[in-house]
Amino acid sequence: MSLLIKNGIVYDPINNIEGEKMDIFVSDGKIASDAKDAKEIDVNGKLVLPGGVEGHTHIAGGKVNAGRIMRPEDSRRGAEPRSKLTRAYSGCSVPNVYATGYRYAKMGYTFLMEAAMPPMAARHTHEELIEIPIVDKGAMPVLDNHWMTMECVKDGDMDKLTAYIAWMLKATKGFGIKIVNPGGVEAWAWGKNVSDLHDRVPNFDVSPAEILKGLSVANERLNLPHSIHVHCNRIGSPGNSETTLETYGLLSDVKNDDRQVMHATHTQFHGYGGENWGDFCSKADEIAKYVNSHNNLTIDLGVVMFCDTTTMTGDGPHEFNLYRLTRRKWSNHDVELEVGSGVVPFVYGPKIPPHAIMWAVGIELPLLIDDPWKVMMTTDNPNGCPFTFYPQIFAQLMSKKKREAMLEEVHPVVNSHAILPSIDRELDWNDIAIMTRGAPARLLGIDKHGKGHLGIGADADIAIYDIAPKEVDPAMDYKSIERAFSYTAYTIKSGEIVCKDNEVVAVPKGKTFYVDPEIDDSVMDTMLPDLKDKFKECYSINMANYPVQDAYLPNPYKISTKGT
Amino acid sequence: MSAENTTVTDVVCPFCGSLCDDLEVEVEGNKIVKVKKACKLGKSKIMGHQRIETPMIREDGEFKEVTYDEAIDKAAQILADSKRTLSYGWASTSCEAIEKGIHLSEVVGGVIDSTASVCHGPTVLAVQGVGSPGCTLGEVKNRADLVIFWGSNPVHAHPRHQARYSYNAKGFFSDGKEDRTLMVFDVRKTKTADKADEFVQVEPGSDYKIFSAMRTILSGNEDVVPDEVGGVSKEKLIEIIEMMKKAKFGVIFGGLGITQSRCRYKNLENVISFVDEMNEHAKFTLIAMRGHYNIGGFGQVCAWETGYPFAVDFSRGYAWYNPGEATAVDVLNRKECDVVLAVAADPVSNFPRASVEYMREVPVIQVDPYPNPTTEFADVVIPAAVAGVEAEGTAYRMDSISIRMRKIIDTKFLSDEEIFEKILNKVIERKEGA
Amino acid sequence: MAEQKITIKPKESFKIPVDGYIIGPDNMAGKSADDINEMETWHGNQVVNLGALFEITVDGSAGPEDTTITLEGDFSRVKRIGSGMGNGKLIVNGDVDMHCGAVMMGGSLIVNGNADSWAGREMKGGELIIEGDAGDYVGSAYRGETVGMKGGKIIVKGNVGDYVGEHLGGGEIEVGGDAGILAGVNMIGGSITIEGNADLPGAEMTNGTVTVKGEVEMLPSFRFEGTESVGSVELRKYTGDLAVRGTGKGTLYVK
Repeated sequence: MSLLIKNGIVYDPINNIEGEKMDIFVSDGKIASDAKDAKEIDVNGKLVLPGGVEGHTHIAGGKVNAGRIMRPEDSRRGAEPRSKLTRAYSGCSVPNVYATGYRYAKMGYTFLMEAAMPPMAARHTHEELIEIPIVDKGAMPVLDNHWMTMECVKDGDMDKLTAYIAWMLKATKGFGIKIVNPGGVEAWAWGKNVSDLHDRVPNFDVSPAEILKGLSVANERLNLPHSIHVHCNRIGSPGNSETTLETYGLLSDVKNDDRQVMHATHTQFHGYGGENWGDFCSKADEIAKYVNSHNNLTIDLGVVMFCDTTTMTGDGPHEFNLYRLTRRKWSNHDVELEVGSGVVPFVYGPKIPPHAIMWAVGIELPLLIDDPWKVMMTTDNPNGCPFTFYPQIFAQLMSKKKREAMLEEVHPVVNSHAILPSIDRELDWNDIAIMTRGAPARLLGIDKHGKGHLGIGADADIAIYDIAPKEVDPAMDYKSIERAFSYTAYTIKSGEIVCKDNEVVAVPKGKTFYVDPEIDDSVMDTMLPDLKDKFKECYSINMANYPVQDAYLPNPYKISTKGT
Repeated sequence: MSAENTTVTDVVCPFCGSLCDDLEVEVEGNKIVKVKKACKLGKSKIMGHQRIETPMIREDGEFKEVTYDEAIDKAAQILADSKRTLSYGWASTSCEAIEKGIHLSEVVGGVIDSTASVCHGPTVLAVQGVGSPGCTLGEVKNRADLVIFWGSNPVHAHPRHQARYSYNAKGFFSDGKEDRTLMVFDVRKTKTADKADEFVQVEPGSDYKIFSAMRTILSGNEDVVPDEVGGVSKEKLIEIIEMMKKAKFGVIFGGLGITQSRCRYKNLENVISFVDEMNEHAKFTLIAMRGHYNIGGFGQVCAWETGYPFAVDFSRGYAWYNPGEATAVDVLNRKECDVVLAVAADPVSNFPRASVEYMREVPVIQVDPYPNPTTEFADVVIPAAVAGVEAEGTAYRMDSISIRMRKIIDTKFLSDEEIFEKILNKVIERKEGA
Repeated sequence: MAEQKITIKPKESFKIPVDGYIIGPDNMAGKSADDINEMETWHGNQVVNLGALFEITVDGSAGPEDTTITLEGDFSRVKRIGSGMGNGKLIVNGDVDMHCGAVMMGGSLIVNGNADSWAGREMKGGELIIEGDAGDYVGSAYRGETVGMKGGKIIVKGNVGDYVGEHLGGGEIEVGGDAGILAGVNMIGGSITIEGNADLPGAEMTNGTVTVKGEVEMLPSFRFEGTESVGSVELRKYTGDLAVRGTGKGTLYVK
């Protein structure tokens, strides 16, 4: 199908296009300079963006499904009947695979990165990913609490570690290195946690700092498109910003000419001061200060909104603590030799002081960070809130008036323990386009693979919103922002119109992106005997049955990398 | 396949929830001649037994042999025209087939339920109340120093479980049974109990009270607990709890003794809460001893497809979940359905009499490799390949780990996945036009 | 004052359950018989007009609070009757199927017969009276919710099944006969009174009151507080359920 999208106001930050009226040609699924027999869509001054890139979201795999199984009460709230074209929807914070794909696509998103894949259960993640309609996707295996990782780090054997990581990426068809509470999750397998970056992990005698630095070395040696993706220790705790800043500092001297060396995820959950819930406060300013003065670190937000949602992370001990705090139902799943996870339903209330501050931190961060290219827009779906809250979040970032209206409804502690009330900055269309398209694509390294921009040859993933940027002042008319970003006028995926005015009109299957790092056989051979031993002695599954088979990626997109 | 003798290794056993994946199968000219490392249950399954040889349609009370296409056409017609199909079974086939089955139920606006509803459905219900404090089986093998089987007799139903995962299994931090205490709680002394370090006999139907007593003791209120609960002395319960608190890693494997006895899913809620509360003192987990090799898979697939793990009613176009209402036994007892689709299961053998009697009154479609009492009730019979032997596909172990089952030999039979793909397409065509 | 009277009779004996969610004063008040005949609902996987399933007569026209709907006959395969109703009166002269009066907010639903399970599920207000027996989960929550019934009153003159008042948050439930197991399980408020027998009542309760006047099988996790006169009867008073980490502050009165 060929398309000609006429008269759109285009924001394509990667190609330095900032609100230009221009025509976009689509041919053979790609952005083209011309198109024969193109179907014309005259969007008449409406906003045209590349398809949204969701850089960190929990949508597929064991813990997401544990959330679904555990929460029939969430499933029933999101129910919508099937149609000839679409399957039935279920769920709000833990939607079924169909609702996930349809809702993201209707909002204009065309690429989703599953944030945490347990390697031994990677098959499960891929089984779900391929059922999510329309969007392209990938998944990041969690690799930091692995016994092999810790042993290599302990021995200082970076070759072996690099080989192990390469093996794991190939075996899991994974995208990059995800780190979650390094050291802490192994400690949790015994019911414990780590308390700071220099704690020693029981039985392995390494520290979280050492693990993180080791994995960064492996990441750079493999020349992976993305940097290490880090969920810091001490998530959610008062005063954790100290650990967060220290974590950032671990790689302050490390450089990569092409991209960041560390991506710190859901930074809102790691930006707190105080010593207990009583003096809990925002440290978004200190986080922002660090980000502003360092060019090798990027973040994503993890914005909290007031809602009934489900927390789910690979941070087993943290989820246990949430269960103890709230006494809500709790699902836990420790995975041998590798990872952990926990799922606990959670309600964020505007009148609850710590929640009000958490919300403030999530909105403060992008307003205090000068360079939007360092920021990916996320809610850590569904931990902060379901992704369906994005329109409200955009409105708050673009409109101080909207923030003031919200501030009236939240606990007044934000006036003394948060920064938001004093911030005047309002983001503009370009900033939003950067944080939701340009930056995520670039930070993940998929801009080079046709994502996040509308340059010639890019994937024709396009979102057209029913709002005229030249006519609307988002700062005043934030309600229009909320309305317009709730669903697109058109979502186009690989050149095909898939959504129109909040209806799904086509359900192509997306591609699964994964990274296949090149590694010398001789280096691999230093690692394999040890790994084979682990399978023989410690794993409960045979090595031959472990890797994710091709059957689980019927539409693969392989990114090959050459090591340094 | 060659006529030579080959050994297929790393074979995944399609029998019980242990989903052992270390089997070795010798094949001679497309015939399985030997199965190594399996228990006798798995061996019997893989060696094979009597099969439904051809598709059949019942005419005037007698089975007539037909082609696959004829049987599939007939099945599709019955399903497409139905007002309330009950689709039941699904635990002994692959996830890929299950996905098709769920899609089919959505299209025909019927009810789909798995064998969980007569097995570990209560565990799933309990998870919906209080969550699931679990781990993979390798965690048990590597770390557990206290292993408890409650209402479960693995020697009988999961023969290799203890050697591969739980009691005898050696791991990184454990020398196997040398380092472990094995406790069994059951209503009688089972073969598993024979080998236990401690066997506690409980009165039938008293598990709920025992869990409540244990939690009360754990909370520091032992003074209110009577001297004896469910046949167990209070002293004994206190002693057991003290021992549990000193464990490095405790695991409770729960079986049908708790899911199917009085209080049912509330038993599981109670013991899961106990495990949660134990975590204040020691690392504790709970794993359900799932019976069929892919009952876990049904729950997983159904959850990601519909939002619910079993007992789903699609009659209003979206999924409505309610065990007790959309569970197979209840739908049959109430004579609600006008078609029964039995897949890889034998409801006639396992269901209460009233439910079974009702199956005489409605068209029954059976899709299964094996003839069984349900076949006698069927109006359309479609033979399937054996998943894990004759067809590849995914299955989920009792600890939610998925493994891809291999195809070991060729077969003339269509797989469940293929059968349901065809039925689904024909039903959609009939109901909605091409 | 204007009144509306509607009568509904089944045209046949249903085997496949009918979804009766639309039967209620709020949905039917002010409508004519023709209107109501054309209202749609589900019967199995089919969307049908009410008129195809029921004989409907209408007398007068009024608002919901002044509307009385009388169901005559066997409604034991009509689910969700009176579900969500907020006003008016709904009388069933016969048995009803599951979920009758679910999520009720007001008005009065009277069943002169037996009710199946989940009667009054998640009720918020109004009154539900069942002259015969009811099934399991009277006044309960939906699967996975932390609270179910929050207000209103349910009276079952006969027996109830298991889990009556499961996850009760508020309101009152009265049972004239026996209850099955685990009456009041997980409750956090409200009150349940059972004239007959009950086994293991008050399990996991952390607040609210359960009274069992007949024979009772007790849980081992309640603290005896002494005896108390309740009405004209001397009952034993317990607090608990202490199994809930020792925090249960519910009250259990038993014979």
